[in-house]
Amino acid sequence: MTDMTSNTPSRSQSQSAADEGAGREEKRLGFALTLPAQLLVLFIALFPILMQVYISLTDWSPLDGIPWYRAYELWIGLTNYVDLAGDPRFWSAIWRTLIVMLICVPVQFLLGLGLAILFVDEFPGRRAMYSTILVPMMVVPAVAGYMFFMLFQSGGPINGILSFLLGSSVQIAWLSDPDLALLGVIISDIWQWTPLMFLILLAGMLSVPQDQQMAAVLLGAGWWRRFFTIVLPRMKTIIVIAIAIRVIENFKVFDNFYIITGGGPGVATETISIYIYKVTQNDLIWGYVAAIALAILIVLSIVSGMAISRMRKG
Amino acid sequence: MQRSLKFEVFRYAAIAAFLALSLIPTLWMISMAFKPIAEWQSTGADLTWWPKNPTLDNFRFIFGESSSDMISALERTAGRPILASLLSAGFGTVIAMLAGTSAAYGLSRFGYGGNLPLALVQLRLFPPMAVMIPVMIMWAFLGLIDSWIGLALIYGIVTLPFAFWLMKTFFDDMPREIEDAALVEGCSRWRVFLRVTLPMMRPALASSALFIFILNWSDYLIALLLTTRDWVTIPVYMASLSSSMTGQLYGAKAALGLIAAVPPVIMGIAIQKQLVRGLTFGALKE
Amino acid sequence: MTEIVLENLGKKFGEFTALNGMNLTIANGEFVALLGPSGCGKSTTMNMIAGMLDPTEGEIRFSGKKMNGVPMGRRGVGFVFQNYAIFTHMTVRENLAYGLKAQGESASQTKRRVDDIAELLQLTDLLDRKAAGLSVNILQRLAIGRSAVVEPSIFLLDEPLSNVDAAFRSVMRSELKALQRQFKQTMVYVTHDQLEAMTMADRIAVMDHGKLLQVGTPLEVYNNPVDTFVARFIGAPGMNLLKGHVGSADGAASVDLGATGRTKVVDAKSKGDVIFGFRPEEVKPDPKGELHMAVTMVEHIGARTILHLMEGQHEAKAVLPAGSDVPNQGDIFHFNVPGTAVRLFDATTERAL
Repeated sequence: MTDMTSNTPSRSQSQSAADEGAGREEKRLGFALTLPAQLLVLFIALFPILMQVYISLTDWSPLDGIPWYRAYELWIGLTNYVDLAGDPRFWSAIWRTLIVMLICVPVQFLLGLGLAILFVDEFPGRRAMYSTILVPMMVVPAVAGYMFFMLFQSGGPINGILSFLLGSSVQIAWLSDPDLALLGVIISDIWQWTPLMFLILLAGMLSVPQDQQMAAVLLGAGWWRRFFTIVLPRMKTIIVIAIAIRVIENFKVFDNFYIITGGGPGVATETISIYIYKVTQNDLIWGYVAAIALAILIVLSIVSGMAISRMRKG
Repeated sequence: MQRSLKFEVFRYAAIAAFLALSLIPTLWMISMAFKPIAEWQSTGADLTWWPKNPTLDNFRFIFGESSSDMISALERTAGRPILASLLSAGFGTVIAMLAGTSAAYGLSRFGYGGNLPLALVQLRLFPPMAVMIPVMIMWAFLGLIDSWIGLALIYGIVTLPFAFWLMKTFFDDMPREIEDAALVEGCSRWRVFLRVTLPMMRPALASSALFIFILNWSDYLIALLLTTRDWVTIPVYMASLSSSMTGQLYGAKAALGLIAAVPPVIMGIAIQKQLVRGLTFGALKE
Repeated sequence: MTEIVLENLGKKFGEFTALNGMNLTIANGEFVALLGPSGCGKSTTMNMIAGMLDPTEGEIRFSGKKMNGVPMGRRGVGFVFQNYAIFTHMTVRENLAYGLKAQGESASQTKRRVDDIAELLQLTDLLDRKAAGLSVNILQRLAIGRSAVVEPSIFLLDEPLSNVDAAFRSVMRSELKALQRQFKQTMVYVTHDQLEAMTMADRIAVMDHGKLLQVGTPLEVYNNPVDTFVARFIGAPGMNLLKGHVGSADGAASVDLGATGRTKVVDAKSKGDVIFGFRPEEVKPDPKGELHMAVTMVEHIGARTILHLMEGQHEAKAVLPAGSDVPNQGDIFHFNVPGTAVRLFDATTERAL
């Protein structure tokens, strides 16, 4: 079921020793088959990272009129990193990204888990409702951004519904109030990605053996006890995977946020990706951007390395 | 297990409530796509949930025809961005599938490329924004900025991890006996791969390719950085559908959004069974 | 003290009738095997006793108390699943304590009772081991212990030996039987293996196509099958069944088996077409025997020899005792069947006469 950590060659090595000629053919073929992927990984990982290190030590900008490889003329050493450590906008973007994650992922998890419980056994209409629930996650995120942009207009349908419910005209300016704007983008993220949690958690729940659940019930366990002692513990790996996927993707969040608010008002919805994008496109200080990007890559590598080694141990 | 009537009522009520909330944004966009310009901005008491005078004008408009006196026809129509999205997502899928499938087979059968699984997971882990400076420099150097080939190449790399992991789990699941039989018959390894393995993997290849196409088609950020004018994709083009003269062209955006949203939703529903496998890097095969 | 009564029990899944008109009384402390091929309704019956399924017809009573509608888990039924359904994410102790905790037993009582049952089942040393990776006979003991610790009045076992290696089955069988003697509980055991039923059960209920055919002790069912299905299903090999005709010759009733010969029958109550049945073990080789068939195959299974016989449309098997002369393939084998060993069945209804 879980295959995340097995990168050992499966079943193949003992056999290749058996036949010398076939062994050589297999070696050549194995090498050739994996070569394109290896090259692409090198192309996107090694070279860019070296370039990133180099540029991050300079004050280079594409506006300077010198090509990137002559950026040494603008060598400034570690200044970019020192600036970064004291850049309040950077730290607030990091902080905001984490807050968004800390709200979105648990809400998506709980909603997804609740829905999965409702869908775990057969009932009329199950298939059609299942497919319908999945629709939001298949909508292009940028398009989802436009949808919510329209919804949150002060004359838009959300205020319309609120007006209807409250019986008086509601004119909330969702996207120009800093707190409400953040709430708005969080809602759009929850809307789009709860179905993913649901999909993964339901698959996990369905893979919990039926007879174990029956055995628990026959031993006198009620619904809650069965759920917390059999179903949830058996879903542990899947829950970790589902949350990990959402945490990773949520950290990168850009499309719908940028389209709904452009990071604003002010910097109220500026996540780390939006911040980097703005510095890249608007301020054009690429030496600094390289430093930010590298810092994030290093932190992520350490965090993911720790997570993976812990997963391998457990 | 039997459930009480009370639970059944609760179940349907809860699902109905969730579906209602979940469908509002989509339905609003669909409705907007068919609204004439007079209804785009209707607010407050006039808020129209469903177009009073449904029209296809919005679709005609984004393809260059203006039937309204209020807005002049677009200088650049949606045709080219749709082509850009199709070409870049399509060829990106081809690159990812070619490299991913062959590498997955190499690892699954011959034990080559043991570093790939982890390297590719990590590749997926990093925010694309954090590697885009060097990519932009490299693409500019290679003359790939604002071209669909440049987009296809980066899409192919970004979705390679999914192609690799998906196909690896499929190859791991495939019984080796059939291949071994063909080997005994005297076929070369390469022939076996092309003539025996790949044809058997056709359904797996199809669903993986669709999945990767959806991912590529959904991109916004990369296209935003790497295209400028000629080959902007649908989402990037959509942003340009606002002008200082007219403000937001709600209806036009909704029509284009609908065009962009339909293919992945249909494909996604078609490969529902494989979705979990794809989204969890093959960790869950249900 | 639990007696199980099934009265006119029936279950339909849509149009399909899984069980029909089942009447069975299982006495307190009795070990009854529900025996039959797959699809005969035995598992349906057991699941209804456990409460996993609701009957569509009839009644289930435990010691006179109607059980229909009582949810599973409140029936005082212990259930051992085909693959034991051990909670592999828990330790052996947590498995054993599960039912007690679910029923709100105090921590000290739970510990005492778990320790007791572990002692009884020789699981004490394993108590703190994770249940994953234990060997199959320990899993069986654990499964039984986990159910037994809450002291159910009834034990239901669903083919617990079907996933076990053939070589290991006899060990598991005797262990299971010993455990039943220890617990002295009413046990219902579902199996498709007649050997398991014959060796363990006090009584066997043979089922086929959703119907209960015969209930009796292993010997009764073996010796006096009510119809040809039971006759064939019980025993390995099953009973020989040859088509014949009862008539009288020389003033005594006899069965005409055509080319196979003609043999006397004691107190035949019927005339006309019958099915002539006899156990392969009852065949008595005799060069001057009244019956003769061609040998098509000779099987040696240890000391036993099984002959496959054929004559015209008749096929039969014969088990030769150790030390008898073994004919060759192609020989004509002459034999007698003692009158007491003969069972006659009606040719059309296939019921015992």
